[in-house]
Amino acid sequence: MITIGLPKGRNLGPARAALAAAGLNLDGLDSSRLRQRFPDQSVLGTPVEVLLLKDWDLPLYVEHGIVDCAIVGSDVLEETQPDVFRPLQLKGGRSRLSLIAETPELPKRSGQLRAATRYPTWAARLLAARNLHVEVIHLTSSIELGPLLDLTDVAVDIVQTGGTLRAHDLHEVEVLAAVAPTFVVNRASFHAHRRRLSGLLGALEETETGGE
Amino acid sequence: MKISAGLPTGVSAALFDSARRRRRLEARLSALLEERGFAEVLLPILDYFEPYRPLLTGRRLEQLYRFVDRDGQLLVLRGDFTPMLARLLAPHLDELELPLRLYYRGDVVRHQPLRPGRMREYSQLGAELLGGDEAEADEQMLTLFFDLLLEARGEAPAVVDGEEHALRVVLGVAGALDEALLAAAGEHEASDLALRIASRDRIAARRAGLAEVVERGYPTDLSVLGGTGEAVFELLALRDRLSSAYRDAAVEIEVDLAEFAAAALDPRIGVGSGPRGYYDGLMFAAYAPGTALALGVGGRYDKVFRSLSGDCSAVGFSLGLDLLLELGVAEARS
Repeated sequence: MITIGLPKGRNLGPARAALAAAGLNLDGLDSSRLRQRFPDQSVLGTPVEVLLLKDWDLPLYVEHGIVDCAIVGSDVLEETQPDVFRPLQLKGGRSRLSLIAETPELPKRSGQLRAATRYPTWAARLLAARNLHVEVIHLTSSIELGPLLDLTDVAVDIVQTGGTLRAHDLHEVEVLAAVAPTFVVNRASFHAHRRRLSGLLGALEETETGGE
Repeated sequence: MKISAGLPTGVSAALFDSARRRRRLEARLSALLEERGFAEVLLPILDYFEPYRPLLTGRRLEQLYRFVDRDGQLLVLRGDFTPMLARLLAPHLDELELPLRLYYRGDVVRHQPLRPGRMREYSQLGAELLGGDEAEADEQMLTLFFDLLLEARGEAPAVVDGEEHALRVVLGVAGALDEALLAAAGEHEASDLALRIASRDRIAARRAGLAEVVERGYPTDLSVLGGTGEAVFELLALRDRLSSAYRDAAVEIEVDLAEFAAAALDPRIGVGSGPRGYYDGLMFAAYAPGTALALGVGGRYDKVFRSLSGDCSAVGFSLGLDLLLELGVAEARS
Protein backbone atom coordinates (compact mmCIF):
# COMPACT_ATOMS: atom_id res chain seq x y z
CA MET A 1 0.00 0.00 0.00
CA ILE A 2 1.22 3.49 -0.90
CA THR A 3 -0.43 6.28 1.07
CA ILE A 4 -0.56 9.63 -0.69
CA GLY A 5 -1.38 12.84 1.16
CA LEU A 6 -3.30 15.44 -0.82
CA PRO A 7 -3.90 19.04 0.23
CA LYS A 8 -7.30 20.53 0.84
CA GLY A 9 -7.64 23.93 -0.79
CA ARG A 10 -6.03 25.61 -3.78
CA ASN A 11 -3.46 22.90 -4.51
CA LEU A 12 -5.93 19.99 -4.63
CA GLY A 13 -7.02 20.65 -8.22
CA PRO A 14 -3.51 20.85 -9.72
CA ALA A 15 -2.43 17.82 -7.64
CA ARG A 16 -5.29 15.66 -8.90
CA ALA A 17 -4.79 16.83 -12.47
CA ALA A 18 -1.07 15.98 -12.36
CA LEU A 19 -1.70 12.53 -10.85
CA ALA A 20 -4.43 11.84 -13.42
CA ALA A 21 -2.10 12.82 -16.26
CA ALA A 22 0.48 10.44 -14.78
CA GLY A 23 -2.08 7.61 -14.86
CA LEU A 24 -3.44 7.75 -11.30
CA ASN A 25 -7.10 8.58 -11.65
CA LEU A 26 -8.76 9.72 -8.42
CA ASP A 27 -12.15 10.51 -9.94
CA GLY A 28 -14.18 9.25 -6.99
CA LEU A 29 -12.31 11.42 -4.48
CA ASP A 30 -14.76 12.68 -1.87
CA SER A 31 -13.46 15.86 -0.25
CA SER A 32 -15.57 15.25 2.87
CA ARG A 33 -13.77 11.97 3.67
CA LEU A 34 -10.38 11.83 5.37
CA ARG A 35 -9.17 8.43 4.14
CA GLN A 36 -10.09 6.77 0.87
CA ARG A 37 -8.83 3.67 -0.93
CA PHE A 38 -8.81 3.31 -4.68
CA PRO A 39 -8.91 -0.43 -5.39
CA ASP A 40 -8.90 0.06 -9.15
CA GLN A 41 -5.86 2.34 -9.06
CA SER A 42 -2.26 1.32 -8.32
CA VAL A 43 1.35 2.46 -8.48
CA LEU A 44 3.13 -0.38 -10.28
CA GLY A 45 0.75 -2.96 -8.81
CA THR A 46 0.65 -1.49 -5.29
CA PRO A 47 -2.79 -0.31 -4.07
CA VAL A 48 -3.24 3.38 -3.33
CA GLU A 49 -4.76 5.10 -0.35
CA VAL A 50 -5.35 8.87 -0.23
CA LEU A 51 -5.51 11.06 2.87
CA LEU A 52 -6.97 14.55 2.48
CA LEU A 53 -5.26 16.92 4.92
CA LYS A 54 -4.62 20.61 5.39
CA ASP A 55 -1.68 21.93 3.38
CA TRP A 56 0.09 23.21 6.52
CA ASP A 57 -0.20 19.84 8.28
CA LEU A 58 0.92 17.63 5.40
CA PRO A 59 4.72 18.02 5.88
CA LEU A 60 4.40 16.69 9.42
CA TYR A 61 2.43 13.64 8.25
CA VAL A 62 5.10 12.96 5.62
CA GLU A 63 7.97 13.33 8.11
CA HIS A 64 6.26 10.92 10.51
CA GLY A 65 5.70 8.42 7.70
CA ILE A 66 1.90 8.45 8.20
CA VAL A 67 1.74 9.15 4.49
CA ASP A 68 4.51 7.95 2.18
CA CYS A 69 4.32 10.96 -0.10
CA ALA A 70 2.23 14.07 -0.63
CA ILE A 71 1.73 17.13 -2.77
CA VAL A 72 2.34 20.30 -0.75
CA GLY A 73 2.77 23.95 -1.69
CA SER A 74 6.44 25.00 -1.79
CA ASP A 75 5.41 28.03 0.32
CA VAL A 76 4.51 25.70 3.19
CA LEU A 77 7.77 23.77 2.73
CA GLU A 78 9.86 26.96 2.78
CA GLU A 79 8.19 28.12 5.97
CA THR A 80 8.20 24.80 7.84
CA GLN A 81 11.47 23.34 6.43
CA PRO A 82 10.51 19.69 6.91
CA ASP A 83 13.11 16.94 6.54
CA VAL A 84 11.57 15.32 3.45
CA PHE A 85 12.65 14.63 -0.12
CA ARG A 86 11.35 17.05 -2.76
CA PRO A 87 11.78 15.26 -6.07
CA LEU A 88 9.46 17.29 -8.28
CA GLN A 89 7.58 20.57 -8.58
CA LEU A 90 4.34 20.52 -10.55
CA LYS A 91 3.76 22.85 -13.45
CA GLY A 92 0.08 23.44 -12.71
CA GLY A 93 -1.07 25.65 -9.85
CA ARG A 94 2.02 27.84 -9.77
CA SER A 95 1.90 31.25 -8.11
CA ARG A 96 4.33 33.74 -6.55
CA LEU A 97 5.19 35.22 -3.19
CA SER A 98 5.17 38.99 -3.52
CA LEU A 99 5.82 42.16 -1.60
CA ILE A 100 2.54 44.11 -1.60
CA ALA A 101 1.91 47.76 -0.73
CA GLU A 102 -0.64 50.51 -1.20
CA THR A 103 1.82 52.32 -3.50
CA PRO A 104 3.76 50.99 -6.54
CA GLU A 105 7.02 51.68 -4.69
CA LEU A 106 8.12 50.52 -1.26
CA PRO A 107 6.83 53.06 1.32
CA LYS A 108 9.55 55.30 2.76
CA ARG A 109 9.79 55.18 6.54
CA SER A 110 12.30 56.76 8.88
CA GLY A 111 12.11 53.68 11.12
CA GLN A 112 11.79 49.98 10.41
CA LEU A 113 9.09 48.83 7.99
CA ARG A 114 6.40 46.46 9.18
CA ALA A 115 5.26 43.55 7.03
CA ALA A 116 2.22 41.31 7.50
CA THR A 117 2.57 37.73 6.32
CA ARG A 118 1.56 34.16 7.00
CA TYR A 119 5.18 33.13 6.36
CA PRO A 120 7.18 34.89 9.12
CA THR A 121 10.38 32.82 8.78
CA TRP A 122 10.50 32.59 4.99
CA ALA A 123 9.51 36.23 4.47
CA ALA A 124 12.13 37.45 6.96
CA ARG A 125 14.76 35.35 5.15
CA LEU A 126 13.80 36.65 1.70
CA LEU A 127 13.60 40.28 2.83
CA ALA A 128 16.92 40.09 4.70
CA ALA A 129 18.54 38.77 1.51
CA ARG A 130 17.40 42.04 -0.13
CA ASN A 131 18.81 44.11 2.75
CA LEU A 132 15.29 44.88 3.89
CA HIS A 133 15.20 44.44 7.63
CA VAL A 134 11.56 44.63 8.54
CA GLU A 135 9.44 43.83 11.55
CA VAL A 136 7.39 40.82 10.55
CA ILE A 137 3.84 40.51 11.87
CA HIS A 138 2.38 37.00 11.64
CA LEU A 139 -1.22 36.91 10.38
CA THR A 140 -3.08 33.74 9.52
CA SER A 141 -5.59 35.07 6.97
CA SER A 142 -6.59 38.16 4.97
CA ILE A 143 -2.99 39.32 4.84
CA GLU A 144 -3.89 42.23 2.57
CA LEU A 145 -5.73 43.82 5.49
CA GLY A 146 -2.36 44.52 7.14
CA PRO A 147 -1.46 47.53 4.96
CA LEU A 148 -5.11 48.41 4.24
CA LEU A 149 -5.92 48.87 7.93
CA ASP A 150 -2.52 50.41 8.74
CA LEU A 151 -1.44 47.49 10.91
CA THR A 152 1.64 47.22 8.69
CA ASP A 153 3.35 49.13 5.87
CA VAL A 154 3.47 46.19 3.47
CA ALA A 155 2.29 42.60 3.11
CA VAL A 156 4.13 39.52 1.89
CA ASP A 157 1.70 37.03 0.44
CA ILE A 158 0.84 34.64 -2.37
CA VAL A 159 -0.35 36.24 -5.59
CA GLN A 160 -2.06 34.03 -8.17
CA THR A 161 -4.11 36.13 -10.57
CA GLY A 162 -3.71 39.51 -8.86
CA GLY A 163 -7.51 39.82 -8.55
CA THR A 164 -7.44 40.42 -4.77
CA LEU A 165 -4.81 43.14 -5.20
CA ARG A 166 -6.83 44.94 -7.86
CA ALA A 167 -10.01 44.66 -5.78
CA HIS A 168 -8.27 46.42 -2.87
CA ASP A 169 -6.25 48.84 -4.98
CA LEU A 170 -2.97 47.29 -3.80
CA HIS A 171 0.29 47.02 -5.78
CA GLU A 172 2.69 44.15 -6.32
CA VAL A 173 5.97 45.95 -5.53
CA GLU A 174 8.25 42.98 -6.12
CA VAL A 175 8.06 39.22 -6.72
CA LEU A 176 10.11 37.58 -3.97
CA ALA A 177 9.87 33.90 -4.95
CA ALA A 178 8.07 31.42 -7.18
CA VAL A 179 5.62 29.01 -5.52
CA ALA A 180 4.60 25.60 -6.88
CA PRO A 181 2.80 22.48 -5.66
CA THR A 182 5.63 20.09 -4.81
CA PHE A 183 5.74 16.30 -4.61
CA VAL A 184 7.42 15.30 -1.33
CA VAL A 185 8.43 11.87 -0.04
CA ASN A 186 9.23 10.48 3.43
CA ARG A 187 12.89 9.33 3.66
CA ALA A 188 12.17 5.78 4.78
CA SER A 189 9.28 5.42 2.32
CA PHE A 190 11.53 6.57 -0.50
CA HIS A 191 13.82 3.61 0.15
CA ALA A 192 10.96 1.18 0.86
CA HIS A 193 8.99 2.04 -2.30
CA ARG A 194 11.84 3.27 -4.46
CA ARG A 195 10.94 1.38 -7.65
CA ARG A 196 7.21 2.17 -7.43
CA LEU A 197 7.64 5.82 -6.53
CA SER A 198 10.29 6.20 -9.20
CA GLY A 199 7.73 4.94 -11.75
CA LEU A 200 5.10 7.44 -10.55
CA LEU A 201 7.64 10.27 -10.44
CA GLY A 202 8.87 9.41 -13.91
CA ALA A 203 5.30 9.63 -15.26
CA LEU A 204 4.71 12.89 -13.38
CA GLU A 205 7.97 14.33 -14.66
CA GLU A 206 7.06 13.36 -18.20
CA THR A 207 3.66 15.05 -18.02
CA GLU A 208 4.76 18.04 -15.95
CA THR A 209 7.81 18.94 -17.99
CA GLY A 210 6.75 17.58 -21.35
CA GLY A 211 9.81 15.33 -21.17
CA GLU A 212 12.20 18.30 -21.30
CA MET B 1 4.24 26.31 46.28
CA LYS B 2 3.09 24.13 43.41
CA ILE B 3 6.02 22.39 41.68
CA SER B 4 5.75 21.81 37.94
CA ALA B 5 6.70 18.40 36.52
CA GLY B 6 7.59 20.01 33.19
CA LEU B 7 10.96 19.53 31.50
CA PRO B 8 12.81 21.77 29.02
CA THR B 9 11.87 21.53 25.36
CA GLY B 10 13.25 18.43 23.66
CA VAL B 11 13.96 16.56 26.90
CA SER B 12 12.07 13.62 28.39
CA ALA B 13 12.42 11.24 31.30
CA ALA B 14 12.25 7.45 30.97
CA LEU B 15 10.17 6.18 33.87
CA PHE B 16 9.10 2.71 34.95
CA ASP B 17 8.52 0.40 31.98
CA SER B 18 10.20 2.65 29.41
CA ALA B 19 13.33 2.73 31.61
CA ARG B 20 13.26 -1.06 31.94
CA ARG B 21 12.83 -1.51 28.19
CA ARG B 22 15.75 0.81 27.43
CA ARG B 23 18.07 -0.90 29.89
CA ARG B 24 17.08 -4.33 28.54
CA LEU B 25 17.85 -3.20 24.99
CA GLU B 26 21.18 -1.71 26.08
CA ALA B 27 22.06 -4.95 27.86
CA ARG B 28 21.33 -7.11 24.82
CA LEU B 29 23.26 -4.88 22.43
CA SER B 30 26.17 -4.48 24.86
CA ALA B 31 26.39 -8.26 25.27
CA LEU B 32 26.70 -8.65 21.51
CA LEU B 33 29.41 -5.99 21.35
CA GLU B 34 31.37 -7.61 24.19
CA GLU B 35 31.04 -10.95 22.42
CA ARG B 36 32.65 -9.39 19.32
CA GLY B 37 35.61 -8.10 21.34
CA PHE B 38 34.50 -4.48 21.85
CA ALA B 39 35.38 -2.85 25.17
CA GLU B 40 33.12 -0.25 26.76
CA VAL B 41 34.32 3.30 27.36
CA LEU B 42 32.59 5.75 29.69
CA LEU B 43 32.91 9.32 28.50
CA PRO B 44 32.18 12.52 30.42
CA ILE B 45 29.16 14.69 29.73
CA LEU B 46 31.20 17.91 30.17
CA ASP B 47 34.16 18.89 28.03
CA TYR B 48 36.09 21.95 26.91
CA PHE B 49 34.74 23.74 23.86
CA GLU B 50 38.13 24.52 22.32
CA PRO B 51 39.09 21.02 21.02
CA TYR B 52 35.94 20.89 18.91
CA ARG B 53 36.71 24.00 16.86
CA PRO B 54 38.83 22.11 14.29
CA LEU B 55 36.61 19.00 14.45
CA LEU B 56 33.15 20.48 14.13
CA THR B 57 32.18 23.42 11.98
CA GLY B 58 28.94 24.94 10.76
CA ARG B 59 25.69 23.54 12.04
CA ARG B 60 27.17 20.86 14.33
CA LEU B 61 29.25 23.43 16.19
CA GLU B 62 26.24 25.72 16.58
CA GLN B 63 24.22 22.83 18.01
CA LEU B 64 26.56 22.36 20.98
CA TYR B 65 25.24 23.53 24.34
CA ARG B 66 28.07 25.70 25.60
CA PHE B 67 28.50 27.86 28.67
CA VAL B 68 31.11 29.59 30.78
CA ASP B 69 31.60 27.85 34.12
CA ARG B 70 32.50 29.57 37.41
CA ASP B 71 36.22 29.31 36.60
CA GLY B 72 35.71 31.18 33.35
CA GLN B 73 36.24 28.08 31.17
CA LEU B 74 34.12 27.70 28.01
CA LEU B 75 32.58 24.23 28.33
CA VAL B 76 30.22 22.11 26.24
CA LEU B 77 27.74 19.38 27.04
CA ARG B 78 28.42 16.15 25.14
CA GLY B 79 26.91 16.51 21.67
CA ASP B 80 28.61 13.55 19.97
CA PHE B 81 30.67 10.62 21.22
CA THR B 82 32.94 10.03 18.21
CA PRO B 83 34.90 13.33 18.13
CA MET B 84 35.24 13.25 21.93
CA LEU B 85 36.69 9.77 21.79
CA ALA B 86 38.98 10.73 18.89
CA ARG B 87 40.34 13.80 20.66
CA LEU B 88 41.03 11.76 23.82
CA LEU B 89 42.81 8.98 21.92
CA ALA B 90 44.70 10.98 19.26
CA PRO B 91 47.60 12.05 21.53
CA HIS B 92 48.12 8.43 22.67
CA LEU B 93 47.99 6.59 19.34
CA ASP B 94 51.63 5.46 19.66
CA GLU B 95 50.91 3.72 22.95
CA LEU B 96 47.74 1.96 21.79
CA GLU B 97 47.60 -1.57 20.46
CA LEU B 98 45.68 -1.44 17.18
CA PRO B 99 43.19 -2.48 15.99
CA LEU B 100 41.17 -1.10 18.88
CA ARG B 101 37.50 -1.97 19.32
CA LEU B 102 35.49 0.33 21.56
CA TYR B 103 31.84 0.97 22.29
CA TYR B 104 29.88 3.51 24.27
CA ARG B 105 26.34 4.25 25.36
CA GLY B 106 24.73 7.31 26.88
CA ASP B 107 22.93 10.55 26.13
CA VAL B 108 23.95 13.39 23.85
CA VAL B 109 22.39 16.85 23.73
CA ARG B 110 22.12 19.10 20.70
CA HIS B 111 20.23 22.36 20.33
CA GLN B 112 18.43 21.49 17.12
CA PRO B 113 15.02 22.17 15.63
CA LEU B 114 12.43 19.75 16.95
CA ARG B 115 11.28 17.28 14.34
CA PRO B 116 9.14 14.17 14.55
CA GLY B 117 11.10 11.70 16.66
CA ARG B 118 14.02 14.08 17.16
CA MET B 119 14.56 15.30 20.71
CA ARG B 120 17.31 17.60 21.97
CA GLU B 121 18.55 14.96 24.40
CA TYR B 122 18.65 11.41 23.14
CA SER B 123 20.43 8.18 23.89
CA GLN B 124 22.93 6.53 21.62
CA LEU B 125 24.87 3.33 21.52
CA GLY B 126 27.81 3.22 19.17
CA ALA B 127 30.98 1.38 18.28
CA GLU B 128 34.34 2.41 16.82
CA LEU B 129 37.07 0.35 15.21
CA LEU B 130 40.46 2.07 15.02
CA GLY B 131 43.33 0.77 12.91
CA GLY B 132 43.56 -2.45 10.91
CA ASP B 133 42.98 -3.08 7.23
CA GLU B 134 40.46 -0.48 6.02
CA ALA B 135 38.39 -2.65 3.70
CA GLU B 136 38.17 -5.44 6.28
CA ALA B 137 37.31 -2.96 9.02
CA ASP B 138 34.53 -1.42 6.87
CA GLU B 139 32.93 -4.80 6.23
CA GLN B 140 33.34 -5.91 9.83
CA MET B 141 31.64 -2.76 11.15
CA LEU B 142 28.81 -2.93 8.64
CA THR B 143 28.21 -6.54 9.66
CA LEU B 144 28.15 -5.48 13.31
CA PHE B 145 25.77 -2.62 12.43
CA PHE B 146 23.34 -5.10 10.78
CA ASP B 147 23.63 -7.60 13.62
CA LEU B 148 22.88 -4.97 16.25
CA LEU B 149 19.85 -3.75 14.29
CA LEU B 150 18.59 -7.32 13.93
CA GLU B 151 19.23 -7.98 17.62
CA ALA B 152 17.21 -4.85 18.44
CA ARG B 153 14.42 -5.96 16.15
CA GLY B 154 14.39 -9.31 17.89
CA GLU B 155 11.66 -11.57 16.63
CA ALA B 156 9.42 -8.79 15.37
CA PRO B 157 7.78 -9.95 12.15
CA ALA B 158 9.24 -8.74 8.88
CA VAL B 159 5.73 -8.61 7.39
CA VAL B 160 2.97 -6.68 9.19
CA ASP B 161 -0.61 -6.54 7.81
CA GLY B 162 0.66 -7.85 4.49
CA GLU B 163 3.24 -5.06 4.22
CA GLU B 164 6.94 -5.83 4.09
CA HIS B 165 8.76 -4.29 7.05
CA ALA B 166 12.37 -4.81 6.09
CA LEU B 167 15.17 -2.79 7.61
CA ARG B 168 16.84 -0.79 4.87
CA VAL B 169 20.48 0.12 4.94
CA VAL B 170 21.76 2.73 2.50
CA LEU B 171 25.45 2.80 1.54
CA GLY B 172 27.45 5.68 0.08
CA VAL B 173 30.96 7.04 -0.28
CA ALA B 174 31.97 10.55 0.72
CA GLY B 175 32.91 12.65 -2.27
CA ALA B 176 31.50 10.17 -4.80
CA LEU B 177 29.56 12.91 -6.58
CA ASP B 178 31.96 15.81 -6.08
CA GLU B 179 33.71 15.68 -9.46
CA ALA B 180 30.46 15.08 -11.35
CA LEU B 181 28.74 17.95 -9.54
CA LEU B 182 31.64 20.30 -10.19
CA ALA B 183 31.63 19.39 -13.87
CA ALA B 184 27.85 19.83 -14.09
CA ALA B 185 27.39 22.99 -12.09
CA GLY B 186 30.52 25.04 -12.13
CA GLU B 187 32.32 26.13 -9.01
CA HIS B 188 29.73 28.60 -7.73
CA GLU B 189 26.59 26.47 -7.97
CA ALA B 190 27.90 23.03 -7.02
CA SER B 191 26.74 23.20 -3.40
CA ASP B 192 23.22 24.20 -4.46
CA LEU B 193 23.16 21.34 -6.96
CA ALA B 194 24.40 18.93 -4.26
CA LEU B 195 21.53 19.99 -1.98
CA ARG B 196 19.01 19.53 -4.79
CA ILE B 197 20.29 16.06 -5.58
CA ALA B 198 20.27 15.12 -1.88
CA SER B 199 16.60 16.17 -1.91
CA ARG B 200 16.07 13.90 -4.98
CA ASP B 201 15.20 16.81 -7.28
CA ARG B 202 14.71 14.97 -10.57
CA ILE B 203 14.81 18.00 -12.84
CA ALA B 204 18.11 19.31 -11.38
CA ALA B 205 19.61 15.81 -11.49
CA ARG B 206 18.58 15.31 -15.13
CA ARG B 207 20.07 18.66 -16.13
CA ALA B 208 23.32 17.69 -14.39
CA GLY B 209 23.41 14.35 -16.19
CA LEU B 210 22.86 12.54 -12.87
CA ALA B 211 19.27 11.34 -13.35
CA GLU B 212 20.24 7.76 -12.55
CA VAL B 213 21.72 8.85 -9.22
CA VAL B 214 18.32 10.02 -7.95
CA GLU B 215 16.31 7.30 -9.70
CA ARG B 216 18.35 4.21 -8.83
CA GLY B 217 21.08 5.50 -6.49
CA TYR B 218 24.14 5.41 -8.77
CA PRO B 219 24.94 5.77 -12.48
CA THR B 220 25.22 2.73 -14.75
CA ASP B 221 28.38 4.20 -16.22
CA LEU B 222 30.58 4.79 -13.18
CA SER B 223 33.12 6.69 -15.28
CA VAL B 224 30.90 9.81 -15.04
CA LEU B 225 32.02 9.96 -11.40
CA GLY B 226 35.66 10.42 -12.43
CA GLY B 227 38.24 9.28 -9.90
CA THR B 228 35.66 8.09 -7.39
CA GLY B 229 34.07 5.61 -9.80
CA GLU B 230 36.38 2.86 -8.56
CA ALA B 231 35.35 3.44 -4.93
CA VAL B 232 31.69 3.11 -5.96
CA PHE B 233 32.50 -0.09 -7.87
CA GLU B 234 33.99 -1.53 -4.66
CA LEU B 235 30.95 -0.33 -2.73
CA LEU B 236 28.64 -2.23 -5.10
CA ALA B 237 30.71 -5.38 -4.57
CA LEU B 238 30.43 -4.86 -0.80
CA ARG B 239 26.67 -4.46 -1.12
CA ASP B 240 26.43 -7.73 -3.07
CA ARG B 241 28.45 -9.64 -0.48
CA LEU B 242 26.36 -8.27 2.40
CA SER B 243 23.07 -8.83 0.56
CA SER B 244 24.07 -12.43 0.08
CA ALA B 245 25.05 -12.82 3.75
CA TYR B 246 21.77 -11.28 5.00
CA ARG B 247 19.47 -12.82 2.39
CA ASP B 248 17.21 -14.44 5.00
CA ALA B 249 17.15 -11.55 7.48
CA ALA B 250 14.73 -9.10 5.81
CA VAL B 251 17.47 -6.50 5.39
CA GLU B 252 17.47 -4.55 2.13
CA ILE B 253 20.82 -3.02 1.22
CA GLU B 254 21.15 -0.39 -1.45
CA VAL B 255 23.83 1.94 -2.76
CA ASP B 256 22.47 5.47 -2.89
CA LEU B 257 25.02 8.18 -3.56
CA ALA B 258 22.39 10.93 -3.35
CA GLU B 259 21.72 10.09 0.30
CA PHE B 260 25.02 11.63 1.36
CA ALA B 261 25.48 14.31 -1.31
CA ALA B 262 24.34 17.43 0.49
CA ALA B 263 27.55 18.43 2.24
CA ALA B 264 29.64 17.94 -0.87
CA LEU B 265 31.46 20.93 -2.26
CA ASP B 266 30.11 23.54 0.11
CA PRO B 267 33.03 25.60 1.41
CA ARG B 268 31.02 26.61 4.47
CA ILE B 269 30.63 22.99 5.48
CA GLY B 270 33.71 21.54 7.08
CA VAL B 271 34.75 18.23 8.46
CA GLY B 272 32.04 17.96 11.08
CA SER B 273 28.74 19.28 9.83
CA GLY B 274 25.94 18.69 7.40
CA PRO B 275 24.36 15.40 6.45
CA ARG B 276 27.77 13.94 5.56
CA GLY B 277 29.09 14.83 9.01
CA TYR B 278 32.75 14.07 9.54
CA TYR B 279 32.77 11.01 7.34
CA ASP B 280 35.32 10.91 4.54
CA GLY B 281 34.95 7.40 3.10
CA LEU B 282 32.26 4.72 3.42
CA MET B 283 28.98 6.05 4.86
CA PHE B 284 25.82 4.21 5.83
CA ALA B 285 22.39 4.83 7.35
CA ALA B 286 19.54 2.51 8.39
CA TYR B 287 15.83 3.15 7.97
CA ALA B 288 12.65 1.31 8.93
CA PRO B 289 9.12 1.82 7.58
CA GLY B 290 7.25 4.73 9.10
CA THR B 291 10.30 6.32 10.67
CA ALA B 292 11.10 9.99 10.37
CA LEU B 293 14.81 9.62 11.08
CA ALA B 294 17.61 7.16 10.42
CA LEU B 295 17.80 4.48 13.13
CA GLY B 296 21.58 4.69 12.94
CA VAL B 297 24.36 6.25 10.89
CA GLY B 298 28.02 5.51 10.50
CA GLY B 299 31.08 5.66 8.33
CA ARG B 300 34.82 6.09 8.00
CA TYR B 301 36.29 9.20 9.61
CA ASP B 302 40.10 9.05 9.20
CA LYS B 303 40.00 12.81 8.57
CA VAL B 304 39.03 13.50 12.18
CA PHE B 305 42.29 11.93 13.37
CA ARG B 306 44.28 13.76 10.69
CA SER B 307 42.82 17.07 11.87
CA LEU B 308 44.01 16.11 15.37
CA SER B 309 47.53 15.51 13.98
CA GLY B 310 47.04 11.78 14.38
CA ASP B 311 47.37 9.10 11.73
CA CYS B 312 44.83 6.37 12.28
CA SER B 313 42.15 4.77 10.17
CA ALA B 314 38.79 4.79 11.92
CA VAL B 315 35.28 3.57 11.20
CA GLY B 316 32.26 3.65 13.50
CA PHE B 317 28.54 4.15 13.89
CA SER B 318 25.88 5.10 16.38
CA LEU B 319 22.36 3.79 16.86
CA GLY B 320 19.50 5.86 18.26
CA LEU B 321 18.19 3.83 21.19
CA ASP B 322 15.07 5.99 21.55
CA LEU B 323 14.23 5.43 17.90
CA LEU B 324 14.69 1.67 18.18
CA LEU B 325 12.45 1.60 21.23
CA GLU B 326 9.87 3.90 19.70
CA LEU B 327 9.52 1.53 16.80
CA GLY B 328 8.64 -1.21 19.22
CA VAL B 329 11.23 -3.39 17.55
CA ALA B 330 12.91 -4.16 20.84
CA GLU B 331 9.76 -5.41 22.50
CA ALA B 332 9.50 -8.67 20.66
CA ARG B 333 11.87 -10.51 22.98
CA SER B 334 10.88 -8.84 26.22
